[in-house]
Amino acid sequence: MEHPKKSQSCELYPSKKEIHNYHGVVHSVISYGKEDDQQLNGTLSLIQESEKVVIEWRPNDVSIDTECQEDTEWALVNTNTRTRTSSGSVDGALSKLHVNIMLNDVKTIKVSNKKNKLTFTLKDNKQKVFFFHFGNVNQFFEELRTTVTLKRSHHDSNLYFVHDKNAIVQSFSDLTLVDRGGDTVWNLVGDLKRRPYETTLSTFSKLTELLLYRNPEARPEGAMVEILSSLSSTDGCPEVDDSYHFICPVLGPRKLEPRGIPLSQDHWETAKDTEGKIINPDHIKQIIFKGGITPSLRPELWKYLLCLYPWNSTKKEREDILNEKTEEYKRMRAQWSTMSADQESRFTFFRDKKSLVEKDVNRTDRTMPFYAGANNPNLELLSDILMTYIMYNFDLGYVQGMSDLLSPILAVLGNEVEAFWCFVGFMNIMYHNFDEDQSGMKKQLSQLHTLLTAVAPDLATYLDSHDSGSMCFCFRWLLVWFKREFPLEDVNVLWEVLWTGLPCTNFHLLICVAILEKEKNKLMSAGNGLSEVLKHVNDLSYNMDLNDILMRATGIYNQLDQSSNLTASTQRVLGLAHDLISVQQSQSEPEEIVGEEKIDVSMENGYEKSIEYNYF
Amino acid sequence: MAPAECEATYKVLVLGDSNVGKTCIVHRYCDQTYYDTYISTIGIDFKQKIISLDGTPIKMQIWDTAGQERFRTLTTAYYRGAMGILLMYDVTNQESFNNLTYWLKNIEENASPDVIKVLAGNKCDAVSQRMVEQDMGQKLAENYDIPFYEVSCKQNINIDKIFLTLARHIREQRSYQQLTEREHYDSGQNGNITLDLKSRILEHTSLKEPWKCTC
Repeated sequence: MEHPKKSQSCELYPSKKEIHNYHGVVHSVISYGKEDDQQLNGTLSLIQESEKVVIEWRPNDVSIDTECQEDTEWALVNTNTRTRTSSGSVDGALSKLHVNIMLNDVKTIKVSNKKNKLTFTLKDNKQKVFFFHFGNVNQFFEELRTTVTLKRSHHDSNLYFVHDKNAIVQSFSDLTLVDRGGDTVWNLVGDLKRRPYETTLSTFSKLTELLLYRNPEARPEGAMVEILSSLSSTDGCPEVDDSYHFICPVLGPRKLEPRGIPLSQDHWETAKDTEGKIINPDHIKQIIFKGGITPSLRPELWKYLLCLYPWNSTKKEREDILNEKTEEYKRMRAQWSTMSADQESRFTFFRDKKSLVEKDVNRTDRTMPFYAGANNPNLELLSDILMTYIMYNFDLGYVQGMSDLLSPILAVLGNEVEAFWCFVGFMNIMYHNFDEDQSGMKKQLSQLHTLLTAVAPDLATYLDSHDSGSMCFCFRWLLVWFKREFPLEDVNVLWEVLWTGLPCTNFHLLICVAILEKEKNKLMSAGNGLSEVLKHVNDLSYNMDLNDILMRATGIYNQLDQSSNLTASTQRVLGLAHDLISVQQSQSEPEEIVGEEKIDVSMENGYEKSIEYNYF
Repeated sequence: MAPAECEATYKVLVLGDSNVGKTCIVHRYCDQTYYDTYISTIGIDFKQKIISLDGTPIKMQIWDTAGQERFRTLTTAYYRGAMGILLMYDVTNQESFNNLTYWLKNIEENASPDVIKVLAGNKCDAVSQRMVEQDMGQKLAENYDIPFYEVSCKQNINIDKIFLTLARHIREQRSYQQLTEREHYDSGQNGNITLDLKSRILEHTSLKEPWKCTC
């Protein structure tokens, strides 16, 4: 059954046919010395357009953090099924980055030694360079071969001359000319010898065709062969440096370090000075990151982790903060609790949110002893805090999933005011998960795809080609930070680990990667499409070993942190972009020369400014 | 029954406001279970059930998602390939009924134009809390020309029936499509065949007054 939009576009562009497309192709957008030099991830497609074949590259809607807001489709990287509209008609800034190459205009194609890069040299000698993240350059190349005739250079086994179908026909007609004994062609060869670069390559390629396709006895004289050989050696394609270190990252071995022990009462007591300030918060966070917190200490520690109390506050200051926050809470609580039914009747937004809170409170963790049973007073607390949060953050109000985020906090703290402010702290981290346009979730799903590509490129490729590149099957994991995937005690540990903000930004995405990678073989088993992937992922709920996952995620982080060949986008997601500067400074290699064009690594630093992470 | 033995998989979506009983009807239909309390659905999920549709094994794949409007952005993945939609409201909640027009519009915008729809008014067992009368649902269904049933997950009323109606209509739609495709290949040598096709299929599948509610 066709998607309506899709069928519509087919009607609009009946002559256009996408032959094949390839995900994870990075295009170097290089304009010498300009600030917008960048490496963009995207999809390379072969398109049959009437009689012509076009190579089209489109950036992923998702890989560019600053621009992903532009798209209105949720399909994200899932471009396999994307509607094809007229070239370059996509809205917004992304469309400017599109690359369209008429195959007719291509002079040569060079494949890198590592088979991960294609360099197209056009007839005007401009170059377009594409890196294949997933090493599927061969597949693309084979597809290309079915469309055009590619002739390998005698002098460079990685260099191919392009002949479109028309050119072949033309070359055979030339052959007839020669057979008739006409001199035209051989005069042209003479011209080529005298003015090798000026003479058009299309003419040249016809002759190469003639030279190579003919039976040996029918070939022109040896002198002509020599002339042609000498010409093909100066093919006008500059040598291209293959050492693209940021593509196809190869990670070092993974070390799995055992988890640590939870922060103990004794340790915590010695962590404070005489005034009650925490002497070394970073050390405490390290312990929590490695082993979590002893359950009895949670009510106290969570108030620091969730920013109710600053780590350097004294006991007295904390008392003052609590008093102040209690008053503030009471004030906001009164704002909704004093609203009359009459008032509510003219307040649709409030009424809708209140109704949602009621519905969700009644179905949040009702199997937990803390919320079990009819008329459980804790349900009222849960409801009151969520209602007060509507007043605290009226623009956001209440969105499904928020009750899941509050429930463990209230159960651990047991105190309405403290639970409210800790929930506020948590929501400050999670706010973007509940964006009206879901842009925060979309961004994270795309970042997850970026990380998965770095860690398990085969799995990322597999998902892309099986209708699952949008990663939407991880939506639940991300929205409520695995609340639905682990039993409550595990959720407590996982959240306090994540609240430390260690060891990098977006560590929760590495947890996703760790799970997906662990399940890789099952996910990639024959014929799995989105429904099978979704089913498998959903069925993992309550069937995972948190400690194992945390060890793996930490191991993956260390691999990525120590890798010197990460893509810039991977570094940005993890907040490792600063490493680029230090690597560059220590190696004193500011630039890499790529053909005629230059990529300045330092340009990547500009991204740092635009990174917005919601961690504290 | 192994999937390979099934003749076809019918993808069906359950849509409707939050808390109308979407997850509940999926559990009731696929697992024959009912719980008094459910957790709200986050993201997307589905369950499958193999049914015998007049002797033919068919895999019913029932997709379930969150009801809140904000999460409609997931729809591209959700709607893709959907053949049937079970649109649901809660007879004890007027708002969920009022929002049906929103849902129908959403379906029109996202689903295939020939997707099969049925309307379900859930919780028809809750007599004392009823806010939406049966004829309201009936009238709306007639306006949109879609089959309608009042159902109860709790008391297992009309659950199998409504899904079977969906499955029959999907089969009808598919065979109609296949036949018209064949007609297309035959390059219209006899125009009467195409015209006559739909009535023949309707006759064959014995879909007589499927919208009549027996609740």
